[in-house]
Amino acid sequence: MPKIELYRNALDTYIGEKLQNDVLEEQLSVAKAEVDEWEDEHGLLKIELNDTNRPDLWSTAGLGRQLRVYRGGDIPAYDFFSTTDAPKECGSRVVHVDAGLKNIRPYIAGFVASGPSIDASTLNDIIQTQEKLCWNYGQKRRAVAMGIYRSDLMRFPVSYRAADPDATQFVPLAEERAMSLRQMITEHPKGRDFGHIVADFPKMPYLEDAGGDALSFPPVINSARLGAVEVGDSSLFIELTGTDQSVLHLACSIVACDLADAGFTIEPVCIEYPYDTPAGRTVVTPQYFQTPVEIEPAFASKWLGVPLTADDCIRLLGRMGCVAAEARGSVRVQPPPYRNDFLHPVDIAEDIMIGYGMGNFEPTMLQDFTVGRLTAVEVLSRDVKTVLVGLGFQEMVFNYLGSRRDYLDRMQPVATDESDADDSAMVRIQNPMSENYEYVRPSVLPSLLSAEAVSAHAVYPHLIFEIGKVAVRDAADSSGTRTDDVLGLVLSDVESTFNTVRDKVNTMLYFLNIDARYEAADDSRFIAGRCARILVAGRTAGIMGELHPQVLENWGISMPTTAAELNIGSLLSRESGV
Amino acid sequence: MTDIDIRSFHPLEIRVLLHFSEASELTVPEMVARVGLKEGQGNQVVSWLAAKGLIEESSRTARVFYELTELGKEYVDTGVPEERLIRVLEKDGPTPLPALASACGLEMRDTGSAFGALSRVGAVEMDSDKRAVLIDPAKADWVARVRGILERAARDGALAEESLDDAERTAVQGIAKKRGAGTVAFRIVERSEVVYRFTESGEAVRKAAADSGLTGEETGSLSPAMLRDGSWKRASFRSYNIDTPPARLIPGRRNPYAEYLESVKDTLVGLGFEEFDGPVVETEFWNSDALFMPQFHAARDIHDVYYVAEPTHAREIEQPYLDQVAAVHENGWSTGSRGWNYGFDRDFTRRLILRSQGTVLSAKQLPKAKVPGRYFGIVRCFRYDQVDATHLSDFYQTEGIVLGEDVNLRTLLGMLKMFAEEVAGATEVKYVPGYFPFTEPSVEVHIKHPKLGWFELGGSGIFRPEVTAPLGIDVPVLAWGLGIDRMALMHLGLNDLRELFSNDLERVRLRRRK
Repeated sequence: MPKIELYRNALDTYIGEKLQNDVLEEQLSVAKAEVDEWEDEHGLLKIELNDTNRPDLWSTAGLGRQLRVYRGGDIPAYDFFSTTDAPKECGSRVVHVDAGLKNIRPYIAGFVASGPSIDASTLNDIIQTQEKLCWNYGQKRRAVAMGIYRSDLMRFPVSYRAADPDATQFVPLAEERAMSLRQMITEHPKGRDFGHIVADFPKMPYLEDAGGDALSFPPVINSARLGAVEVGDSSLFIELTGTDQSVLHLACSIVACDLADAGFTIEPVCIEYPYDTPAGRTVVTPQYFQTPVEIEPAFASKWLGVPLTADDCIRLLGRMGCVAAEARGSVRVQPPPYRNDFLHPVDIAEDIMIGYGMGNFEPTMLQDFTVGRLTAVEVLSRDVKTVLVGLGFQEMVFNYLGSRRDYLDRMQPVATDESDADDSAMVRIQNPMSENYEYVRPSVLPSLLSAEAVSAHAVYPHLIFEIGKVAVRDAADSSGTRTDDVLGLVLSDVESTFNTVRDKVNTMLYFLNIDARYEAADDSRFIAGRCARILVAGRTAGIMGELHPQVLENWGISMPTTAAELNIGSLLSRESGV
Repeated sequence: MTDIDIRSFHPLEIRVLLHFSEASELTVPEMVARVGLKEGQGNQVVSWLAAKGLIEESSRTARVFYELTELGKEYVDTGVPEERLIRVLEKDGPTPLPALASACGLEMRDTGSAFGALSRVGAVEMDSDKRAVLIDPAKADWVARVRGILERAARDGALAEESLDDAERTAVQGIAKKRGAGTVAFRIVERSEVVYRFTESGEAVRKAAADSGLTGEETGSLSPAMLRDGSWKRASFRSYNIDTPPARLIPGRRNPYAEYLESVKDTLVGLGFEEFDGPVVETEFWNSDALFMPQFHAARDIHDVYYVAEPTHAREIEQPYLDQVAAVHENGWSTGSRGWNYGFDRDFTRRLILRSQGTVLSAKQLPKAKVPGRYFGIVRCFRYDQVDATHLSDFYQTEGIVLGEDVNLRTLLGMLKMFAEEVAGATEVKYVPGYFPFTEPSVEVHIKHPKLGWFELGGSGIFRPEVTAPLGIDVPVLAWGLGIDRMALMHLGLNDLRELFSNDLERVRLRRRK
């Protein structure tokens, strides 16, 4: 979710009135925005925007526009948009696209903005819009990258071509020497951040003007000469390149509307493609490409739970900046040029909801009767816990992620550092944040022993247990893994022996009315001859015994310790007579 | 001392108080002699009465005692080396030293020094054949004296120094040491014998004891025998001092965090919700695709979810859900949506990950859900986050859904109000528009909690038809999630999420509800 910084004064100007803080805070909910930090001594306010499908709100102008309209201002009408049927006149403002870009970075859009000399606040806003649009909406410049240039220093037509990365060079921003495109990828900070988007192509995107002066290496870096915009400049060329044309056109429209609101005149640019695009071969931008969307008032009423007429819908949508009209009983919405988030009528319903005002909906109680119920595992687990608490056990709650060392190496009957145990039965994370959280636990016992390892100061005896989940590999499941609900318990005490743990387990199973048999087992975590398999209905349900002294040493535990682990699912199937 | 609760005194104290007068010399040996206490009991009574300030020391005399060591006890049976030498020579006649040592059961070194001591006084000598010969045992007069002392000590215990005459004292000092007494027969012990007297308050207590009618023979514990034979009817029971600090007991106990989660589950069941659960390993399909999050969505970045290393992909995704979800992403399928308009990746959708949001299970519940129906789960989720006081690599999320022909935004708000009041104990509720990729509209609920003040309790919304229709549901579905961690922390008086999963047994044992 993007966070933006904006000048309070500028926001007030766009809203058209100075709002009290509490009013502003409440009004921001219309834009799903929250104040993150109130303004500092420079008048800078930090705001968090929650709707990732409304990039038009990520700027002072866009946020101010939404609030102004909501508070009764006119819906702005922008006259610089072309459609495929009605392109605007572009004069010499043409961009020629090279056929070689088709499979690299095929689309470009842009316009010229001229007007008042740009002030610090507006410049700051444009740069921030560029960053947020390209990072959050443009998938970190993969789908949208944007460049701003001083248009009075350049000459149209501009050429967007696939260039030889070794033979093409210019002086990029923040550098004083000419570099090849390939050098920029490896040596320039922006190249290291964004170069990977195009690094694998034999040729790379490159923009230059009619005089052969470099504009930029999209999506990486601008030229230090034409691409260094400063306070006081009054004529800008904005271009956006990317891989999804409608995403690109929307971003282009957002920036154009913001600059228009800031007092600039927007002059369209004509893009000449040598290949087909969704918008055609000759495309004039900024382009209005949205199609009308419809909602039936009855659907809006049903979804929102309040009676709404077509007129109600039209009025409420108007507060959100959407021009709508009735068409054959339905409400037909013409999305604003800076929005493209109406995928389904429910998206229109949400705008109606916000227009209606959240506080104006009366909450009502659910009407249907339904039966509440816990899972069978939860019910049995609670019974198990009750018996274990009666037997003197303390319940523990552990995390499910841990290290190879704890979950595997320390559980071997060899010194931890010498373990070469195989982890193929465990669920390993491919992108762990740290080796401390690299595996899902395959057993509850390491969790319980981790508690023993740090609890020697607690009065003995220690009787602890947890019922929780473990995950192991299981080829029988489509996921190749299986999650089990498991009970683990540990007894640590001078006199803890095989018989101690067996007696506890047996008593527990007795009160759960589960018949169990015990059978000698070999499990290297336990002392040979002091370990038994727990069989319920003839099937293995668990294991118990005296932990091997080497395992205890691996954990740094110097108290005899016995343990048991039982699969709750196995107990459950027995209990329900399956 | 105005309030004397004489019944709270121990019977041994009462007996001592009754047997001594103001003027008596109060010593442990006297208690043994006059009251019939054991020495240990006498020492206990002294320490109890002194601790209560009822008696004080009036004089202290240091006395020296000789106590038999383990070796000394052995000498009582076998004799000191000199005695043994004399005994063997009397029996066997002249004997070379090595043979003598073995007949005496002594080391050669000890045999040599015993022979030396005896030969210095002329009790023995060495003949020309290098044999030890007995001359006059009476010249070693200390041997008999030592025998007498050993036997007295064996009979009477420690010997007081003043009970020995000069010759005996010289003899015993030769075979006694203060420290490191393992190699000699006696250990020298210095003991102080203390005489106590009653303090002023002690005197008051003594009189109160005398007037109380107590005998010190009162019953401590009621026994089964007393109940059987009726002797409890004649017994008088000693009072307990209720001011003694109670002992710490360590019971078996539930974990308070788990109990809290259970209480939330119980509340939800009470509100008509049925619990769901599921595996921790999920596919991208269920974790995000089924929730209509486009595969290029920012939240689906490699840095936000944990990927399973092996196997990397599930074998298959259930049909017809795969086809329907793919279609809804690509073109909206038959939902009336225009979809996300991109090519759905059917390999990526099988990618295995650790569940990153509880909403997965809400989605998985849809194909098997009843209408009307209410479902919930409190399930472990996994996030690619640096672990700190407010972030864990795995944690619980509380999520659920409500299906019904007539559910809508207003019933969603009513449900949130119900949660705010029943689950969180809120006093005020506020709703604001929110954003989630899978609900439209989306609503955040903020509550005013009596202790925590205003905070966001959770997020909710009505599932988009692009989520429900491909999973076979054609009625509106309310979806909700509650952030109950803050309440859990408050409930337990904690402020660090890691504490909820603590492996420190002592802390878990001591933790309780606030």
